[in-house]
Amino acid sequence: MPIAGKTFIRTSVALVLASVLALLAIVATSLALVEGTRSRTEDVARAQDTRLHAYRLLSVVQDAETGQRGYLLTGDASYLQPHETAQRELPVELAALEASGVKDRIGVLKTAIDGKMAELQHTIDLVRGGRQAEAMQIVRGGHGKAVMEQIRAEVDQLTNSSNARVQARLLSLRDQAETLRQVSIGGGVLIILFAAAAGWTVLRYTRELVVARNETAKLNAELEDRVLARTRDLTRANDEIQKFAYIVSHDLRAPLVNVMGFTSELQESLGTLEAHFAETGGAEATPSANAARAAVKDDIPESIGFIRASTSKMDGLINAILKLSREGGRVLSPEAVNLEDLISRASDAVRHQLEERGATVSIEGTLPTVTSDRLALEQVFGNLIDNAVKYLKPGRPGRIAVRARPEASRVTIEVEDNGRGVAPQDHERIFELFRRSGVQDQRGEGIGLAHVRALVRRLGGDITVESTLGEGSTFRVRLPRTLVVSDRSAS
Amino acid sequence: MSNGKPVCIVMIEDDEGHARLIERNIRRAGVNNEIVPFTNGTDALNFLLGDDGSGAASEHRHLLILLDLNLPDMTGIDILEKVKGNLHTRLSPVVVLTTTDDQREIQRCYDLGANVYITKPVDYEGFANAIRQLGLFFSVIQVPEIG
Repeated sequence: MPIAGKTFIRTSVALVLASVLALLAIVATSLALVEGTRSRTEDVARAQDTRLHAYRLLSVVQDAETGQRGYLLTGDASYLQPHETAQRELPVELAALEASGVKDRIGVLKTAIDGKMAELQHTIDLVRGGRQAEAMQIVRGGHGKAVMEQIRAEVDQLTNSSNARVQARLLSLRDQAETLRQVSIGGGVLIILFAAAAGWTVLRYTRELVVARNETAKLNAELEDRVLARTRDLTRANDEIQKFAYIVSHDLRAPLVNVMGFTSELQESLGTLEAHFAETGGAEATPSANAARAAVKDDIPESIGFIRASTSKMDGLINAILKLSREGGRVLSPEAVNLEDLISRASDAVRHQLEERGATVSIEGTLPTVTSDRLALEQVFGNLIDNAVKYLKPGRPGRIAVRARPEASRVTIEVEDNGRGVAPQDHERIFELFRRSGVQDQRGEGIGLAHVRALVRRLGGDITVESTLGEGSTFRVRLPRTLVVSDRSAS
Repeated sequence: MSNGKPVCIVMIEDDEGHARLIERNIRRAGVNNEIVPFTNGTDALNFLLGDDGSGAASEHRHLLILLDLNLPDMTGIDILEKVKGNLHTRLSPVVVLTTTDDQREIQRCYDLGANVYITKPVDYEGFANAIRQLGLFFSVIQVPEIG
């Protein structure tokens, strides 16, 4: 099934769009993962901070307790050193812990630590006041230990929840990476599939194009062959017609030579008879002798005259056919022909008749140069101008105008006159062999325009006439700018 | 110059009317030589070159050939070629008579060795004149004997 051009374009565009969408999905997923990784990494860092500061806090509180125990047991103030350090560090660590994002249990922890520190301070103050036994009593009471346990528990809980958070974040990161991997694989596979489909479509379309092009080329070649064959047939038919015309006119001539020859012989014999009658004079006056004299004097010369006129007319016609057939067989040789020069020369050739009739030939505008057979064009325009001069309207100064109407690859030359014109029913007839139109007051055999049309058609053009009887005629010769001679017509 | 053996005119012309007109005009010009007429090419060639086609038959003849180009069995060109290609007949003058005034055909005849080419015009007077002049022409020439 052939892919129509439209379907092909639609399919290709859809495939490209789908590929772009798959690519976009991959990119979006990657971006999401990057963002997720960033926020989760921050989370993890914060959770680790919490854990660190929670331990430190515990260790600070333990330091403070260690200092208090040492002092309580020895009464030596130097043991209070860790307690004092712890007192300084405690707010710092608490602030750091808070900054790491711990919110809910921080209050409980603070209270416990405050309680512990207060207990420590109280006992230290008691020892300083010399009430050591009372201070020991408080320690032994176990309240401080219980608070310490609570602090430891809180710290443990903080640490555990931090660990859990880190764990959870890492797991979700892994999940997201897995999602990205799947999306990338899926998208990649899709893109490959789409690319393959697009490639396949292009390949198929290209293959169809190639097939179609080959078919077109084949058809063209066949068409050319057919045209060549037709042209060959036509050329052959044309050649046959020409040969036929040649043979016919030739064979007609042979008997005509006899008719004419023996007519002359008759004339010669008639001369003998006339001499005889001149000698005998009117010696015999019988009716038959008178009739014979009349025959020799009038009838026979008249008959011979008619025979002669007819044979010479027939000879003219045969010559015309011969000329046409010979012209048709002539090999055309295209060359650059300046129509302006050609028309000027054609009108120079009838200069004498023009002056005699007070007529003019004018070239309107410029006439182009064509590539064609010079001799044929000379005959065509020579005939047309000759006709225009010949068939002017008496009593009206003849005006013959020649102009060109250029077209793309052809040119139309108009030969216009203000002569006697051609009746509408004769517009086609005047181009036929031996046909003439209008008053027969001019010499001619009726071959000029037939010859012109045959020539123009051989040159690849045509001739038409537009005319109003009594007003003038315009002959239009339409010619190709460049005559192409096929080799066959030359053979 | 050989002995005065008379020249024999061989007229190859299928149209008897033409043959008769030509003969009359030749006679009118005062030429009384023997005229041997042929109406087809085969008979004419048999006469000119002999039955064996060698041309030996014409070895001692003095011939002048009037040749029409349109013959029923062959063209005058064929005859012209054979006559001009044969050792014994090639020196015989050949006058081509035809209705054709085609330049190429005329040239071809001259190329093949035709001596005179006369177009048979319908204008009979011109034709008759040409024949008569031809008659005068061969009343003064003596065809050389071969060998």
